[in-house]
Amino acid sequence: MIEQFQHKFTTSLMLWFDNFLLTKGEAFTNKTGSLYYYEDPHLDSSFKAYGSPYKQWVTDSSVSDANIPDGIFVNGSLSGRGAGVKLDFENGRALLNTSSESLNVTGSFAVKDFNIYYTNETEDDLIIEKKYTVNSRLPGASQNAISPYDQVVPAIFLSNESMVNKPFALGGMEETTVRASAVILAEDSYQLDGVLSIFADSHNEAFNQIPMSGHPMNEFADLKDGSYSYTDVAGTYDSQRPFYVENVTTSKLADKARKSLANDLFVGFIDFDIQAHRRRFQ
Amino acid sequence: MAKLDRDVILAIQKQAPRVGRRQIKKEFKKEFDKLKNQMIDEFLNHPVSVELAAGPSAGNISGTLGGVSNLFAFIGFSQGDDPLIPILKVLQSTSFRQVDIIKKNRKVGINYLVDFPEPNAVFSVTPLPWATGRSWAKGIESGLSGLGYLLRKSSASSRSGVAVQSKKRVRGGKFQNVPYISSLLKKYKTKFDKLK
Repeated sequence: MIEQFQHKFTTSLMLWFDNFLLTKGEAFTNKTGSLYYYEDPHLDSSFKAYGSPYKQWVTDSSVSDANIPDGIFVNGSLSGRGAGVKLDFENGRALLNTSSESLNVTGSFAVKDFNIYYTNETEDDLIIEKKYTVNSRLPGASQNAISPYDQVVPAIFLSNESMVNKPFALGGMEETTVRASAVILAEDSYQLDGVLSIFADSHNEAFNQIPMSGHPMNEFADLKDGSYSYTDVAGTYDSQRPFYVENVTTSKLADKARKSLANDLFVGFIDFDIQAHRRRFQ
Repeated sequence: MAKLDRDVILAIQKQAPRVGRRQIKKEFKKEFDKLKNQMIDEFLNHPVSVELAAGPSAGNISGTLGGVSNLFAFIGFSQGDDPLIPILKVLQSTSFRQVDIIKKNRKVGINYLVDFPEPNAVFSVTPLPWATGRSWAKGIESGLSGLGYLLRKSSASSRSGVAVQSKKRVRGGKFQNVPYISSLLKKYKTKFDKLK
């Protein structure tokens, strides 16, 4: 199936949301430290995984002051993509084309305050059913590699809930409203209030439609072109009408309800009504 | 037939609004109240309202949960809550006021403006018990998760008593949204606009 409007919306929302949080909230921390070897049976035998204690490194070079790595240090020497290193930004690790499991690997990178995921799961499943590993961003957290692939908190889960078209103008122009939501699982109320405040102020924001081909990551969760800037990518797709945040509502899980949860997370919600004016099937 | 002088016509036109205002207002109010009561009746007889008004022991007559449990428990209200009262207050606040007097082609009338609530006025007074920034009334139209039900279930004591004993599990995905406040207000706004 060829790419549809909903696919384009999902890509555009994810990239915009990530950039908006990182730029408006400076929601990241620059870290320097060791990367630790661990076995990953999912990997090709030619790669060895050296992981940091944090998932989801910042990829976006349009975020001021964020340290975006283009390599890691192996036994004190810089080793980049040219040497066959893959940087897995999603899992916070480097994949080295080596057989050695005892290298001294270090790196500098910016870690997002919140992992951002796209999900089809219901709020009930996200908040009540699922068990999470807390990948704390606070000082003094674990100094071992975080295991890959599993979703960890603090995190924000984005989802599309519904899409409605209404006639807008003669000639077949439709007003498409997509209802999207975000469930925030935070470590403390400062983090939660920060995210809710940033996105409550996203009312009237517009962001460009970015097709799936504009997504910056490859199959290793490394950057396709070696670098990525949201501003530049969004700028190359400015010929179509942008998405527009028509309405946004933020709310928090009441403390009384929160205390009945098994985990001690702070939970918030953002409900977006995002519009685009378009012709059908475009 | 004798023709009235222009001065007399002008004098009558000038006095008519004052003389007829009370009568016109009385007639307008009668129609207005009839329509307002009709709107409130329709709201109270909506299956969602009927189910919520019946409290935690009601059946799922609105069909929004596929017949399992009921909305009162699903949303997470506590026993003794009356979730419809804030909406009724908003609907009751519908009023009218005189804005100007029309004089056209020897006819005289009064223009009234109906102060009619927007859906957001209802949504702002209908917070979910477990997330006060979210509106349950809006959720009825756009979708609700089963979080209220599950949170109550996971807490040591049930707040709405009866519903927690439901043996079947209620999931967010099972909720079927239905037209509620927005469509009701849209319908009656058109009717109030046509009021003469």
